[in-house]
Amino acid sequence: MQHPASIDPMTPVQPETPLLQAMDLTKRYGEERVLDDVRFSVRCAEVLGLIGPNGAGKTTLLEALAALIAVDSGAVLWRGATLAPADRRASIFYLPDGIRPWQEQYVARVLKFFAAVYGRSRAQIAAAVAAVGLGPALRKPVFALSKGYARRLMWALALLCPQPLLLLDEPFDGFDLKQTREMMTVLRRTAAAGRTIVLSTHQLVDAERVCDRFVLLAGGRVRGEGTLDELRARTGIPTGLEDMFLALA
Amino acid sequence: MRSPDTSAALRAPFGALLAKEIWQILGGRALWTMLLLLGPLIGYSFVQAVSLYAEASLAASQSPALASSLSPLDGVLVPTFGAFYVAVTLLFPFVAIRVLGHEKETGALQLLIQLPYRTSTLIAAKLAATLAAWVIAAVPVLSALAAWIFVGGHLDAPETLNLLFGHFLFGLLVGALALFAASISESAATAAIVTLAVTIGSWVLDFTVAGRPGFFDWLSRLSLTQALRTFEQGLLSASLVAGILAAVAALAALAAVWLPPGVPTRGKLARSLGCLLAAGVALAIAAQLRASLDVTADRRNSFPAADQRTLRELREPLIVTVHLAPEDPRYVDLRRNVLAKLERTLPNVTLRLAGERQSVLGGSGEESYGVVDYDYGGRLASTRSTSPREVLPLLYGLAGVPLPAPATGEEYPGHPLVANADASLAWFLCGLPLLIIAAWWWSQRPPGSRLTLVQDGDPS
Repeated sequence: MQHPASIDPMTPVQPETPLLQAMDLTKRYGEERVLDDVRFSVRCAEVLGLIGPNGAGKTTLLEALAALIAVDSGAVLWRGATLAPADRRASIFYLPDGIRPWQEQYVARVLKFFAAVYGRSRAQIAAAVAAVGLGPALRKPVFALSKGYARRLMWALALLCPQPLLLLDEPFDGFDLKQTREMMTVLRRTAAAGRTIVLSTHQLVDAERVCDRFVLLAGGRVRGEGTLDELRARTGIPTGLEDMFLALA
Repeated sequence: MRSPDTSAALRAPFGALLAKEIWQILGGRALWTMLLLLGPLIGYSFVQAVSLYAEASLAASQSPALASSLSPLDGVLVPTFGAFYVAVTLLFPFVAIRVLGHEKETGALQLLIQLPYRTSTLIAAKLAATLAAWVIAAVPVLSALAAWIFVGGHLDAPETLNLLFGHFLFGLLVGALALFAASISESAATAAIVTLAVTIGSWVLDFTVAGRPGFFDWLSRLSLTQALRTFEQGLLSASLVAGILAAVAALAALAAVWLPPGVPTRGKLARSLGCLLAAGVALAIAAQLRASLDVTADRRNSFPAADQRTLRELREPLIVTVHLAPEDPRYVDLRRNVLAKLERTLPNVTLRLAGERQSVLGGSGEESYGVVDYDYGGRLASTRSTSPREVLPLLYGLAGVPLPAPATGEEYPGHPLVANADASLAWFLCGLPLLIIAAWWWSQRPPGSRLTLVQDGDPS
C-alpha cells in the first residue's frame, strides 16, 4: 500500500515548525470542564510529555486530539491548517493505556493484521518485533501476555503505523527499570527517525529523561509549557518535575 | 502547509479486515457453543420429523389419495429448520454481538476506528463475518438434509433452496440487528438484551396480537418471524426479499452511524433520521412490489395451471369486497385459498375488507356478514364460499370466458417415505460434536511458522 507523502514519517520537516497545535480545546461532561481552553503546540520530531495529576485531563486530551471523543469547542491545527476530526487518523495514531486488543488472537496474528493494513513487509514486522523485544511472545494469545509484553505489543503496533505523530498514554506502565530504559531508547530512535511523540506519564523521572518539552496539565487547564529549564524559570520551582507535579496536585 | 491526504489513506485491504473479523469469531466461544447445542437440537427435530412423516406415509400407502398431500417441505424440512430458527433467534445474536461488542469492551475498537477504513467498511466486514458464522452454524442443518437424502428422502431443489434462502435472510436480519444493538450499547450484555427484546418480542407479537384487527394486525406484521413464514410456504416474494434487504441495509447504516465515538450525539441523531427516512422510502417501495414465485413442487400457492393461464388473460380490474372480520377463520381460508392466489395471478386486483371493524361475534349477526362480493369490470356476483372450486367458475362467468379444461398429469404425486432416521442421531450426538471440537481445536492453534519466523528477527 502506498502511503501519502504527507504522512510519511521520513518526510523532512523544519524543527521550528509546529507540527500540531491544540487551539482552545474544551470538553465538558455536564457542568464539569474536563478540558478548559487547552492550548499548546507540538514541534516536529520532538518528544512532548503531558504531565499532570490524576484527573488532570491527560487521557481526555489525547483522545480529543485523536478525535476519539468530540470536543465542545476548539480546533486542532496541522502545520498551521485546521485538521478536521475525520482526517486525524491519517496523521495521528493514539495508543490507549490499559487495553489488550483482540485478546483471543495470537500476537503474531495481531501484528500481521496491522502490517497488512498498512502494507508493511515481513522485514518491517521483524524490525518492530526486534526493536521492542516481542519475539518470545509471538506465539502467545494476547490475553496470556504479561503486562510488560502487552505493552510491548502496543509499542510494536505503534512502530508499524505510518502516522507521523504518535500519542502514547502511559507508555512505560508495566515495565521494570531496565525495560523502561530500553523503551526510552526505542522512543528516542523513533523520534530521531522523524516521528513526533506525545506521551502522558506518571513516571516523572522517566519523563525528564526522555522528553524534550513538557505540558503541565491540571484541572483541565494548561499550567505551563516548555523545556524543563523554561518551566523552572516560569514556575519558580528550581528542582525537577516531581516538585512541579506536587505543586499542581 | 499540507493536510494529510485521507482519501489515499482509506485504501487498506478489505481482505485483511475480513480475515481479522473471521478469526475473531472463530477465536471466541460463542459460535462453538452454539454449534454444539445445534447438533443435538437439529438432530432430534430431524429424527422426530422423519418419524412422523413415516407414520403419515404408512397411512398413505393404504390410501394413495393421501400420498399427494405428503410433501417433504412441510413434513421434514420446515420442522428441521425450525430448530435452526430457534437457535438463530436465541443464540446467534450472541455470536453477532461479539463481533463488535467484545472490541468495545476490551478497547480494541479505539485502535480499529483509527485504521484507514471507512466506518461503513468496518460494519460491512463485520456483517460479512457474521454471515460467515451463519454459514458455519448452518452445517448441522445442511447435514440433516444430507441425512434425509441418505435415508431415501426426496428434496425438491427450488423449494429447499428457497427455504434456505429465507433462513439466510433471517440470519442476516438478526446479524444486522445485533450489530446495531452492539453499536449503540456500551456492553455486550446490554446489546444482547436489546437484540433479544426484538427477537423474542417477535414471538410475543405472534402469540398475542396476530390475527387481531386494525393496529394489532399492523403490529404483528413487524414480527421478524413473519419474514420466514412466506419462505416456509414455498413463496419467493420480491416484496419480502426487498423489504428484508432494506431493513438490513438500514440497520447496518445505523450501526455505522453510531460506531465512531468521536462524533457528537446530535450529529448521530441527524444521520440516523436520514437513515430511517431512506429506509422508510425503501420499505414503501418494497411493499409495492407484487412479483412472487411459487417454488413448491405441489404448486400450493397457485391455482391449477389451466386456471392460471385463463386468469392471466383477464385484464379488467377485479374488486373483491369481503364482509368478514380479519380474525374469522373463514377469512383466513379465503385469503389462503383464493385471494392470495388471485393477487398473484391477476394483473389488477383490489381487496376491500368491509368487515374490518367487525368482530366475529359482533358482526356475525348481520345479514351480509360472510358474503364476498366480486366486481369484475362492473359486473357483480356474490358468494359465501371460500373454495376456488366455486369462486373461479363465478369469476369466469363474470368475465364471460369458458371454464378451462382441467389438465391431466399435473397432479402432485406426493413423496411418501417410510423410513427410520434414528441412526442419524449417532452423527448429530457424536460425530458432529467431535467434528466441531476438532474444528475448534484447529482454530485455536498458534499461527503457522511463516507468521512466526519474525520471532528471531528473520527479515527474509
